[in-house]
Amino acid sequence: MSQIHDNDDIQRETKKQKQCFLINDHVDLLIEVLQRLDGRSLGAAACVCRQWCSIVRNDSLWENLCFRHVSPPSVGVRSVVLALGGYRRMYMVCVRPVASRLKRRRFFSGESEVVRRVWSRHEVELSLSLFCVEYYERLLGGGGGVVSGESPAKSLKFLCKAVNVSF
Amino acid sequence: MKRDRERERKKEAKPSSSSSMAVGIGKAKDLHQSLPDSGGMDELLEVLGYKVRSTDMADVAKKLEQLEMVMGEDGILQLSDTVHYNPSDLSGWVQSMLSELNTNSSDNSSSTNFGIVLPGESSSTTMIDFSNNKQIDTQQTGGKMYDDDPYDLRAIAGGAIYGTTAEESPVSRNGIKRMKAAAPGSEAVDVPPESPKPVVLVDSQEVGIRLVHTLMACAEAVQQDNLKLADALVKHVGLLAASQAGAMGKVATYFAGALAQRIYKIYPQDGLETSCWEILQMHFYESCPYLKFAHFTANQAILEAFAGATRVHVIDFSLNQGMQWPALMQALALRAGGPPAFRLTGIGPPQPDNTDALQQVGWKLAQLADTIGVEFEFRGFVANSLADIDASMLDIRPAEVEVVAVNSVFELHRLLARPGAVETVLNSIKAMKPKIVTLVEQESNHNGAVFLDRFNEALHYYSTMFDSLESSALTQPLSQDLVMSEVYLGRQICNVVACEGTDRVERHETLSQWRNRLNSAGFDPVHLGSNAFKQASMLLALFAGGDGYRVEENDGCLMLGWHTRPLIATSAWQPGSTIIE
Repeated sequence: MSQIHDNDDIQRETKKQKQCFLINDHVDLLIEVLQRLDGRSLGAAACVCRQWCSIVRNDSLWENLCFRHVSPPSVGVRSVVLALGGYRRMYMVCVRPVASRLKRRRFFSGESEVVRRVWSRHEVELSLSLFCVEYYERLLGGGGGVVSGESPAKSLKFLCKAVNVSF
Repeated sequence: MKRDRERERKKEAKPSSSSSMAVGIGKAKDLHQSLPDSGGMDELLEVLGYKVRSTDMADVAKKLEQLEMVMGEDGILQLSDTVHYNPSDLSGWVQSMLSELNTNSSDNSSSTNFGIVLPGESSSTTMIDFSNNKQIDTQQTGGKMYDDDPYDLRAIAGGAIYGTTAEESPVSRNGIKRMKAAAPGSEAVDVPPESPKPVVLVDSQEVGIRLVHTLMACAEAVQQDNLKLADALVKHVGLLAASQAGAMGKVATYFAGALAQRIYKIYPQDGLETSCWEILQMHFYESCPYLKFAHFTANQAILEAFAGATRVHVIDFSLNQGMQWPALMQALALRAGGPPAFRLTGIGPPQPDNTDALQQVGWKLAQLADTIGVEFEFRGFVANSLADIDASMLDIRPAEVEVVAVNSVFELHRLLARPGAVETVLNSIKAMKPKIVTLVEQESNHNGAVFLDRFNEALHYYSTMFDSLESSALTQPLSQDLVMSEVYLGRQICNVVACEGTDRVERHETLSQWRNRLNSAGFDPVHLGSNAFKQASMLLALFAGGDGYRVEENDGCLMLGWHTRPLIATSAWQPGSTIIE
């Protein structure tokens, strides 16, 4: 009888070990998953735990998000965007509001709503321009340095509706 | 009665079911009909203690709106002491309130034409085509005129104005808008008490049309130098405008103010306004797309002209805060083959406190350029007028070394205030040997020789502008930007209407007029490409009121307008091949 019990115990142990797959131990897998998320889910993911937060803050994830569906951008884009504040900031300040505005307009004009948005080159260029203008305006207003993580400058107020959740 | 028809319809549809189940099962359109059980009353309101027939709901709602407008702030004072209402009968109560606030003139319902007809006024002055172009029905009062009423226009104008047309009384001192008596309901209407002041019955849309007519009449009076009449009319406009909500009221207020300044010969000082002007323009930049459109389309043309160049030079006639250039620099930074060396020459007016605003802007642009990796050089020129600048001051380098672009946004029209200035400037532009000249101007003729024509054009133009601002007001209420933008436009209005001679700098002209001028000065048009059009359309789609904005292509130029009315136009030019030096 006791033998059966031991067997059960062993089985339960191995089961537990098998169930003990923690995603946090496999950061590369985690990143693979996160790369496929949309912006809102990425934001939510950043609230899960400190490790996830630090991973999500990595700008390359956001770069992927911004340019995933566009043909690979020209070489200099990354340095420019990083200099202006990074992809995460660009996404939140420009790309996301631009996308949602344009998506809403398209939806109203009768086209079917695409769940995963596909960017066009023009939208990307427009977002970049607006991002640059925004940076400049912060320069104008802020005087000395430019603090990242602030709410976007006034010229983009027409894009914002609600509180900008920057983390 | 409508109610009976509905009952019949329901009975036809569901002959078997009892009438009390109509709401649950029936077709969608029956959902908002009340249960016939309750005698046709709306059941939701009934719960609150009010009895309103559902068939009358729309009517009652409309009357409630009217009542609200009529009562205003001071309207309460007009109510008599007796209480008329039985609150359970909402429809009847509203009707009795309305009747009480009306005069006893509901018997004389003569539809006369709008009273102010000046001698010599032709029908062509009604060129402002508002959608509701009906005649105003003004109703006569019982003839109770108080001689000491300062707004009794008849006393001032006399028979010459009111002549053969029907009498009309002025708006009462409280500025209460009176509503046309709506079709009386079947409920009992109490006899309205005599009101202490005679009032005119109009409704809100008619107030708007009346505002326009009064403004135009006032302008015509000014044109004919009949300043007493103009003075009276301007006060009248002020009253009407104060009671009119929305864009029309604001426009009318600004125009009335400008007319008043013209009548009393109080001209605004221009000196103190320069720095305010730039701040106001920033707010205007933020609240609506006109300036952004101007910048983006001009930048696109400049970018295309700079293709392949390794050194570029932009001469900006209207630097202000330099908001146009970050986007261009970013586009240059990201172009294939890397950015060129970018040189910017900015021209601006002298500052009242002698600070070097241009250098500040240059410094900030340099910081940006450094950040994105573009080689940058800046030079600022302070000048009272563009005509004071000539090409030799600007250190123009030879064309093989550096490609030049000249940019002017809302600036060139100021030169028309002085004869010969614009020709001088166009010649010096040619001397700069630019590859491209971008010009953005307001699309309206505010530079006609006759004051009245200018006035009418300006009225139409700025009404449309304010309308478009109102639409963005829906999404950003209480925004400081909007208020400041209105002040910005108000300054322009003041200049167009109240100033003359060299003071009147807002001498806007239409695209075709500028085309003529540039063509005869030896410039050839450059077509703005489809990229500019696409970018502009996309930009406009981002704006909340985006439905109303329209981008139009006009023979190679792009125009941005509100609904059917173009408001600003971007065009690009290059010096013609047949230059005779």
